[in-house]
Amino acid sequence: MRNVGIIGIGYTPVFVSKRKDVNIPEMISEAVENCYANTGLAPKDVDAMVFGNMHTFEGVNMPHLWAADHIAALGKPVMRIATGGSTGMSAIHAAYYHIASGMHDVVMVVCFEKQSEGDSQVGLMGIVTPELMAMLQAGIDVSGSSGMGAIAGGSAGAIAFQACSYLARSGAGIEHIDGMAALERRNAAKNPYAHLKDANATAATIAETPLISYPIRFGHICPTSDGATVAILASEEKAAKLVDEVAWIHGIANCASDASAGNILEGVITDPAEQMPCQIAAKQAYKRAGIEDPKKEIDYVEIYNGFAHQTLMFLEKLGMCEVGEAHKLLDAGDLEINGRCPVNASGGVVSTNAIGTSAMNRVTECALQILGRAGEHQVEKDVHKALAHGWGGLMQYVTVTILADAPQKS
Amino acid sequence: MDKKVAIAGYRMKGACDLITTRERLTFELTRGLFDDLGIDRHYVDTVIFSTNDFLDGRTISNVFLDPPAGAYLKDESKVEMDGLNALMYAFMRIQSGEYESALLVALSLCGYQVSPYLYIEYTLNPAYDRQLGLLNELSAAGLQAQSFLSKYGYSEDLIDEIAAQNLRNAALNPDQARGMNDASGKDVKQSPYLYEPLRELHTYPATDGGCAVLLVSEDKAGELTDKPVWVLGMGQSIETYYLGERGLYESRSTREAAERAYRMAGIDDPKRKVDFAEVSSLFAPQEPILCEALGLYDPGGAAAAYGGDNDISGSLPINPSGGPLGAHPICATGLFRLNEAVKQLRGEAGKNQVKKAEVAVVHAQDGVCAQQNAVVVLGT
Amino acid sequence: MEASPEDFFTPAVPLDFVYNYRVGTYIERYLEGFKEKKILASRCGDCGKVAVPPRMYCGPCNGRMEELLEVSQQGSLENFTIGHVLLEKGAVKAAPSPYMLGLIKLDGADSLLLARVEGVNAGAGALGMRVRAVWKDEVGGDYNDLDHFEPA
Repeated sequence: MRNVGIIGIGYTPVFVSKRKDVNIPEMISEAVENCYANTGLAPKDVDAMVFGNMHTFEGVNMPHLWAADHIAALGKPVMRIATGGSTGMSAIHAAYYHIASGMHDVVMVVCFEKQSEGDSQVGLMGIVTPELMAMLQAGIDVSGSSGMGAIAGGSAGAIAFQACSYLARSGAGIEHIDGMAALERRNAAKNPYAHLKDANATAATIAETPLISYPIRFGHICPTSDGATVAILASEEKAAKLVDEVAWIHGIANCASDASAGNILEGVITDPAEQMPCQIAAKQAYKRAGIEDPKKEIDYVEIYNGFAHQTLMFLEKLGMCEVGEAHKLLDAGDLEINGRCPVNASGGVVSTNAIGTSAMNRVTECALQILGRAGEHQVEKDVHKALAHGWGGLMQYVTVTILADAPQKS
Repeated sequence: MDKKVAIAGYRMKGACDLITTRERLTFELTRGLFDDLGIDRHYVDTVIFSTNDFLDGRTISNVFLDPPAGAYLKDESKVEMDGLNALMYAFMRIQSGEYESALLVALSLCGYQVSPYLYIEYTLNPAYDRQLGLLNELSAAGLQAQSFLSKYGYSEDLIDEIAAQNLRNAALNPDQARGMNDASGKDVKQSPYLYEPLRELHTYPATDGGCAVLLVSEDKAGELTDKPVWVLGMGQSIETYYLGERGLYESRSTREAAERAYRMAGIDDPKRKVDFAEVSSLFAPQEPILCEALGLYDPGGAAAAYGGDNDISGSLPINPSGGPLGAHPICATGLFRLNEAVKQLRGEAGKNQVKKAEVAVVHAQDGVCAQQNAVVVLGT
Repeated sequence: MEASPEDFFTPAVPLDFVYNYRVGTYIERYLEGFKEKKILASRCGDCGKVAVPPRMYCGPCNGRMEELLEVSQQGSLENFTIGHVLLEKGAVKAAPSPYMLGLIKLDGADSLLLARVEGVNAGAGALGMRVRAVWKDEVGGDYNDLDHFEPA
């Protein structure tokens, strides 16, 4: 099987609440132009494209059709991928298969979200309302555990349930979630492409933000951002001709479980903190990447954390530390940029969330760390192997990508 | 291509108004397909969906379908375009060597509640086209039809005949949602104009439905079926969004997609090498434009080609199934065309069966007037 | 395996979302031009193609269209259709009377502009006919300021 690597990355100049100066395709074209400029490549070098976003947020169906002229896509095969919050990494995975299959050699991935143009309720209501209203009209009790599944999609209900369950299993406390959020906001202050930055954030300042639903505070929650991310992937032979440095992809995996909480399927209880798909996807990715002990072999991790407790939770579920250990690593300073096991030097999703890009940015940020191009938020230790995690769906869809600084030997 | 990839089986269902849930339809299609093939969900390595959040009325539409599609705890993704593109993605997953089998599930259920024209309306540029309000799926199809007739000096009789041929063929096909026995060009001319020269009977019916298709690598094909249908080639392309900059009488991106598919399949003369075509012509006037772009006859050759050559018993049948004028379950239409081609290649098409069925070309479209197109070549 | 229709209950769940779009600076300037009854276009710096309405990118060249220019109010009718229906939120309704939609090549532009056309009989002679823009009496920078085209 062919080796595939990331040879170029481009972001929109900023990720902010509202880009008032540009319309949707204009915003996306900024990131495309930046990617070409950063790589020194031209549109003729790209033989196919993958495009992703969650289109209900902008109310434009299949926006790659309108954007085609603006992203150098005319005359090329373009595939649109959409899997919710994990879209960005699902799109990277699609591009990976485009190349690994031998069908294409150089594939550009374009993801974006311009959430400022949508009704802020559309994401939530788009998932929840139909089920909830149907249940209410049928007289179904929505306060029980199957009802919890309906009150999901990132709203206070199931996320708070997840955080509580996580705290109970791990022995961590709300102060650890405060501390994790603070660490990521401090990291974000070093990342020009991050949205919510706070160089002075501490667990105490985060603890002052209002409580939404225990243990979720306002300060634990991701923003909604406008932004676009573009990456170019290439086969080993092409990469050698086009660039000097590559962030290689060693293993990818994805797993999806049931879209509601509190069910028992095939002996597994779908507790939103159990994250069976994460455990399965991680094991599969490690196997494909030839990694036997992730704690030792992975140098850097980017976790999809719409909510700050998820960094800690997913570190455990990805096998990067034992259950109950993540908050101890936090306390010891190990997760900091200059720490032993740095996590989310970019600030994570909790600091920047243009949804279509959020899972993709986990991959591009790992790539930047491997390539040594993360600027002020470059971690101190050498990064040879990195783990990017993407999460979405109705809390049950996980994508994992392992990157490295050398191609995989077969 | 290192390994060949085959279609092992499919299940499809299309009707003008299906009273069911998306989960139930998904379950019936996939469970039904597994039963047909004598397998269960554990046989399937990966699942690719094709559904659309707007049509489903909920975001991340794929995750709700994971359990009924048997995708629980599997590697699953979603292509938010016509389902033929999901096939192309699944093909690449198998070709990568990571997977041996892939299940495709595509469906839409709007019924009487949602107008299918909204699907295209939402693709329109909200900063201009939607504000101006002149462009919609039907007015665009009208302009495309007029452009084609003007370019080659054809009369409307040609497109009426094309519609009639499709409606007759659809009437013979139990998998179609609607058809019209013994339809004639005159019958089609009776139907009212929508946007001249486009008439009501030139258009697809609002349809509910979906399908499940199983793709397998060549090593596995033999254990599931003695009639595998091989994917010989595929290609995809897109043209400009801006209607005023497209030659509407032709389909440039279909030509590009077809060239890629034919090259991969080693076909240098489609007119001679292709036995029949299943084309996603959502409007009868689109059919000759798409077929010309597929290289099935020369530019300006439509009138001659539709003089009988393109009917079921002709030398190069086009849409022997009756095409999308019989059913257009959005997201699944391209795969319906594929399934119809598989039927033909297996000799299982009943009254719609064409004489020679060894190589087929299948086409799917997305966007206004087929702005984006996918082409797949199949063979026995 | 098939369930009967009576087994299903189908509640209608109306979802009302409001979107607010940025049109971008090109359409903003286009509509500003309407205040002066001008039709603006953008020109590609590489291939010289002129697009109406103006936009930031030239697709084939993959380059920005920086230059804005005014194009003529007159042009030729290159394609048309007669609408007998209107679409309202996707529902097909009968139009009060048939109306013509045309694709017009304004002198100076390479792309065709979609607009209503009045006073032209469909038939031989329609294609290629010279037409000119007719504005609303009161213009205010609205999409519909440019009301229709008529024979020049």
